[in-house]
Amino acid sequence: MTKGLNPSTTTRRPDRAALFIAAVLAAIAGLIFWDVSRLSGAAGYSQVGPTTVPYAIACCLAGLAVWTVFAAFRNDFPEREHQEISPVIWIVAGLAAQMLLLNVAGFSIATGILFALTARGFGKRKLWFSLPVGIALCFAVWVIFAKLLQLSLPAGPLEHLFF
Amino acid sequence: MKHFFLASILAGAMALPAYAADYTIIAPANPGGGWDQTARSLQTVLQQEGISGNVQVQNVPGAGGTIGLAQFASQQKGNPNALIVGGYVMVGAILTNKSPVTLKDVTPIARLTGEFEAIVVPAASEIKTMADLVAALKKDPGAVSWAGGSAGGTDHIAVGLIAKAAGVDPTKINYIAYSGGGEALAAILGSQVTAGISGYGEFEAQVKAGTLRLIAVSSGERLAGIDAPTLKESGLDVVVENWRMVAAAPGLTDEQKAAVSADVEKLAKSAGWQEVLKTKGWQDSYLSGDAFAAQLDKDVAATEGVLKDIGLVK
Amino acid sequence: MATFEFLLQGLWVAAQPMNLLYALIGVTLGTAVGVLPGIGPALTVALLLPVTYQLDPAGSLIMFAGIYYGGMYGGSTTSILLNTPGESASIVTALEGNKMARAGRGGPALATAAIGSFVAGLIATLGLAFIAPYIVKLALVFGPREYFALMVLAFVTVSSAFGDSTLRGLTALFVGLALSVVGIDQLTGQARLSFGVPELLDGIEVTTLAVAMFAIGETLFIAAQGEKGPDKVEAVRGSIWMSKLDWARSWKPWLRGTFIGFPIGAMPAGGAEIGTFLSYAAEKRLAKHPEEFGHGAIEGVAGPEAANNASAAGTLVPLLTLGLPTTATAAIMLAGFQQYGLQPGPLLFATNPQLVWGLIASLLIANFMLLVLNLPLIGLWVKLLTIPKPWLYAGILMFATLGTIGANPSVYELGMLLAFGLLGYAMRVFGYPIAPVVVGLILGPLAEQQLRRALAISQGDVSVLFTSPIAAVLLVIAAAALIIPLILRARGRGEVLAQLAANED
Repeated sequence: MTKGLNPSTTTRRPDRAALFIAAVLAAIAGLIFWDVSRLSGAAGYSQVGPTTVPYAIACCLAGLAVWTVFAAFRNDFPEREHQEISPVIWIVAGLAAQMLLLNVAGFSIATGILFALTARGFGKRKLWFSLPVGIALCFAVWVIFAKLLQLSLPAGPLEHLFF
Repeated sequence: MKHFFLASILAGAMALPAYAADYTIIAPANPGGGWDQTARSLQTVLQQEGISGNVQVQNVPGAGGTIGLAQFASQQKGNPNALIVGGYVMVGAILTNKSPVTLKDVTPIARLTGEFEAIVVPAASEIKTMADLVAALKKDPGAVSWAGGSAGGTDHIAVGLIAKAAGVDPTKINYIAYSGGGEALAAILGSQVTAGISGYGEFEAQVKAGTLRLIAVSSGERLAGIDAPTLKESGLDVVVENWRMVAAAPGLTDEQKAAVSADVEKLAKSAGWQEVLKTKGWQDSYLSGDAFAAQLDKDVAATEGVLKDIGLVK
Repeated sequence: MATFEFLLQGLWVAAQPMNLLYALIGVTLGTAVGVLPGIGPALTVALLLPVTYQLDPAGSLIMFAGIYYGGMYGGSTTSILLNTPGESASIVTALEGNKMARAGRGGPALATAAIGSFVAGLIATLGLAFIAPYIVKLALVFGPREYFALMVLAFVTVSSAFGDSTLRGLTALFVGLALSVVGIDQLTGQARLSFGVPELLDGIEVTTLAVAMFAIGETLFIAAQGEKGPDKVEAVRGSIWMSKLDWARSWKPWLRGTFIGFPIGAMPAGGAEIGTFLSYAAEKRLAKHPEEFGHGAIEGVAGPEAANNASAAGTLVPLLTLGLPTTATAAIMLAGFQQYGLQPGPLLFATNPQLVWGLIASLLIANFMLLVLNLPLIGLWVKLLTIPKPWLYAGILMFATLGTIGANPSVYELGMLLAFGLLGYAMRVFGYPIAPVVVGLILGPLAEQQLRRALAISQGDVSVLFTSPIAAVLLVIAAAALIIPLILRARGRGEVLAQLAANED
């Protein structure tokens, strides 16, 4: 913990991201304190009631937040690699689309879109190709799991067309 | 291939009206407990009697079934193929947990079984009779630990009633809640607790094998084939029956409700179900329709009184 | 001896060519479904159980055994190759296994997992056959205080899965613990950290968290490397088969993993993942080259995989002898057994010996078939890595969400998947280890409930936590694991440790 990392960039500027993480940890600790304080601590014969453990966890999180602040000022965090944001956005969009469309469009279409957008995130730009491939693949998976193996996967227009 | 598809669509279309619904039954408790056994028995009989082609059981454990009930009410709304097993425990748990979802939020179909509580101790225990247990309870209520189902359930209520009948402050009982029958049974078998309380069916195999000693049952009269005195015989005026029911999802049309009720009635009258009742030692307490609804309201009101009385609900 | 005759008879029936074929089909199906990320053994067994109903009792029992072992083993393949464990018991396998796969040693990693699973399955199944009644007695001795001590030991030892920074490891663990508090408190029925949201009353599903943090987090992280990430993984470097050195380093962890996993799997509140945690920690402490841990140490694959499969057989101990299903998988198996007229309980071995020994014989055969199927397949599995990344990861996300949707088809559950996936991504970016979050979520509630039960039973007397011999021994081991490294460091021998710490960056 005492080693100074990344010697070339050791300007004494605190690591902003780490400070943000510390703030989030402190906020979680505060949230736990606030929520648990409303519970009745009645514990019967055990002196450890329903509030004890959450309080302990909140205290530790608060302590870790302070530790993280120190680490931020000492630049103790490992150097972060450059992150491409657009692929992440494509994949998150795919997951969100699947979540919202699942009950409307059925498993095959919703998951096919997730498939195509994930491939897009990894650089396959040809959506006109990957989207049909994804939907066909997901339909095959749906047939195997929902029809053959009786897993409850939501059906939509495409599935109703065949079954 | 095309022909195959066509044929299967045709076959599917033709089979559809003939086939009854494929049911999914939620057992709102851990595997091994009473509701789980009820759900799995329903599954077996529904399939075996040809009432339903395919039945699946899903366990959603915790907090006296209110977790399963809440999930069922929110996720299965309007789904005529979803059923949930529930019972008296749920009535108490809804009150103690201040559950936002109550039995009014689902469609109760019918009461199916009743089961009396059994009080057991490990075979090696020094406690031989209910009188011994009451004596220990009077001496130091905290020293008698009871393993049973979740907080505020039938088991918990019964312990409270026993304490009250014995003249012990019911708020002083040392009740250890487990989320399912399996874990509680392990704790009793391992002599981790003084006594265990649950439906007789959950202890039956162990009682027969001689690893647990049955010291009392909570019925009004002695039960056929069970060699144990009632609580009344032991001088405690307590009768507790843990009934179990099956409910459907909220938001069903009258037709859908009638269809489910018809399926359940067919089940309750079937030879297969009667056989299950016999082997599991459950009492047939089939009651449906308005009569069940009225009985349910009465039970809810009575339970609230009992829970307040013994300090579980303020 | 009658038991031997029953076992031999069972083996003879199971070894009929037709039944061997059923075993092979069962193992193939189990592995094929179990290998999909997001679909763990419970779901695999539940899905495939109806397939067995078509056969005669002997055939269906043996196919069922194949599905069970296949499903238990299947998860490790994707954990090792793709770092996407679909269930909590293969998380530890991913820690070292995936590092090995990235270094082109996926073949040996898969081989040690397969052979370790076989060895563990063999020993544990024999254990089930001959010492189940004794093991179950040991399991029943474990009351709340013993479980609490076991959880303390698990907490202390899993710190070896924390990676290179104490701060970040602890932070990850406490995030998991904070998540574990969400939901209704088992012992008093009060809602904690649920903010009036009914869906949160259930608490957070371990499978959802594991799939999100690993499968989705990993996908996002790889995608964010953009073009400059390694273009393709070198699938095989050196031999695809285990070298002599690999064998020498694997056989002891296999045995140790078996002896850790089997009894813990047999405990009513144990569970497969705790055995894998303890096995990993034990291997790290006993290894000749602990500095390799975190960079692909074969011991870290061999031990936990053996523990995982041994606990699969261990789970059958309380199930068969007490009728207690202790895991979701076991609960589904109970339904399966009833189909064969097998009513688990204390009298089962006495009243129904043919079926019990038939099952045990089936498990032995299935275990063998698992090896027969999987060793030749290793070459094929490793080729998974050569699938172009866009299609590979699109497929991973498809199956990861399929498992979640199949278990609980709600929009809300998918929302959790997305949210925790982003959390997993963010934690990877900032160098936080992922495993402790899942560990915290698993161990947190167990530790809390057992502590509170122990104290309630003792009426608040804290000393009971230390006075049971088993609990005391477990706590002493935990204390030793915590303190000895500190003493070593203080006495100047710490140079070695400091050296190791330096190497880890």
